[in-house]
Amino acid sequence: MTRHTRQWIAQTWSSLWVGCLGLMVAYPFAWMAVSSFKDNQQIFLPLKFWPEAWNFNFFHQLMGSEWIPFWKVLLNSLIIAMGQSIGAVLLTSLAGFAFAKHVFRGQGILFVACLCLIVFPRQMMALPLFQWVHTIGLYDSVWGVMLPGMASGLGVLYFTQVFKLIPDAYLEAARIEGAGEWRTYRLVLPMLGSSLLSYGLIHFILAWNEHLVPMLILNAPEHQTLPLALSSLYGSSLRFPFAVLMAGSLLAMIPTTLFFLVSYRRFKNSLSDVMMS
Amino acid sequence: MNFLRRHAVYGLLVPFFVSFACFWVAPLMEGIRMSFYSNELFGEVSYVGFEHYRALFNDARYLKAIRNTAVYTLASLACILPLALLLAHGLRSTFARLRPMLQCLLLLPGLTPPAVLALLFLLVFHGRQGLLNQWLVIPFGWQYINWLKDPDFILVALVFQCVWRWVGFITFFLLSGMEAIPKMYYEAFELESNRSWHRFRWVTLPFLRHVILFCLVYLIVDAFALFSGAYVLLGGSGGTADAGLLLVSYTYQTAFTFGSFGTAAAMSILVAPSLLLLLWACMWGYRRRSLRSSMKFQTT
Repeated sequence: MTRHTRQWIAQTWSSLWVGCLGLMVAYPFAWMAVSSFKDNQQIFLPLKFWPEAWNFNFFHQLMGSEWIPFWKVLLNSLIIAMGQSIGAVLLTSLAGFAFAKHVFRGQGILFVACLCLIVFPRQMMALPLFQWVHTIGLYDSVWGVMLPGMASGLGVLYFTQVFKLIPDAYLEAARIEGAGEWRTYRLVLPMLGSSLLSYGLIHFILAWNEHLVPMLILNAPEHQTLPLALSSLYGSSLRFPFAVLMAGSLLAMIPTTLFFLVSYRRFKNSLSDVMMS
Repeated sequence: MNFLRRHAVYGLLVPFFVSFACFWVAPLMEGIRMSFYSNELFGEVSYVGFEHYRALFNDARYLKAIRNTAVYTLASLACILPLALLLAHGLRSTFARLRPMLQCLLLLPGLTPPAVLALLFLLVFHGRQGLLNQWLVIPFGWQYINWLKDPDFILVALVFQCVWRWVGFITFFLLSGMEAIPKMYYEAFELESNRSWHRFRWVTLPFLRHVILFCLVYLIVDAFALFSGAYVLLGGSGGTADAGLLLVSYTYQTAFTFGSFGTAAAMSILVAPSLLLLLWACMWGYRRRSLRSSMKFQTT
């Protein structure tokens, strides 16, 4: 047996077992997609995969806002997740730049504060946060979810590593030209395109999937996010068609999956770069 | 002007730390304040000191919630990390063309809102017709298991959900880390040993230390903050005999079902020291580990 065939066998073998596991992990999602065409009776038999007839009625019901104000809720979700990730990228990349490229008083303490933020995230103190948001008058508004989400300790840690990869010479050059801190930051930013994108993506996914904080802060049905609206549908009544829920869940997965697929390669490369350091 | 120049760094930090103070420090203070006041929802609240904390330590349900959360966290870590390492190792030797596709398949649950995952769990895995029973239980000739009603299996169901959700992401991180290891280390190690296990143990694993630590911290924090999965599966309560009662869901229940805001605030605040302790233990283990392996490296 040559080295080449041995390698081929190893590759086939691992492709097979990883592939099987991957299919098992992903099977429920395929089932979900197909189930959005089934009526209730068929849904409760998860072993049968294909529907008896392709019934587009449930998508119409969902998009016609028969059960939940679908378009409003979708828009809310998008606004919250987008706003949160853009804000978080801005704030944390600024802070990361300061931590990576400067020495200043209180650096250690401030960095430990960021670590505390990671260790004790806002989901854990949802109740005090809820009270606080109520106090400052952001209850039941998109801002009440978006603003707390922007302070992300993970982002600071990540961007500190990312900025450390940039050679000091660039910064020196900018400073000799007389650029201030803000200008220098703006000058190096284009070099970090894919890192900014990756972090924005991760934050988008986390924000999109968040449940507890939006649930406490957003009250009116038309102010909620998509996952919240879907989970409030569940268990509302037994006559309610589950296919609508499946259709909604399918649509709730699309933005995150799409973003991920589009930026997969850049994302991976920038992660590898950060891990190298 | 000179002063401004010298302190310009703080200008970079201000936006972040303003939001940090507004939405992390302030709620924390608010929580501490709330935990010292009585539970009245309406009307006058009065100062009660450490009364809530004292009551919590005598609350059997709270202790049960702590125990459940600890078991849940440890069990999901013990399942996810080895499985993800194995998967990342396997993925590396698959056909390069297939790799992104396999990766995306594994990542799908991680990209999905946990509420949706819980729903899918209910419809696909749970129940007499569910896949868990049909694939894992019935083939072995056992009685079918009611995963969400039987108190022995509620936590298992939650852990299963956690593994399903995170294994893809952790694999993704580990794989990115593995691909960042410079080839020359493997080439150098070929002089030492040709066994793939040795290669994994002595080259791959030490290089992945940082990544593993990151994943560990992330998973622990996420496991402590688990809410939506348990909320959708168990309807905001602890399930049969409180077998699935976790810290966050108990806090939620205390606050919004029983209306005891003070007690719930005390619970939220009490999580902080335990988490800090746990993470400190992780860091400590990590330090010692890296010290020991570097010493071994010197002696061999």
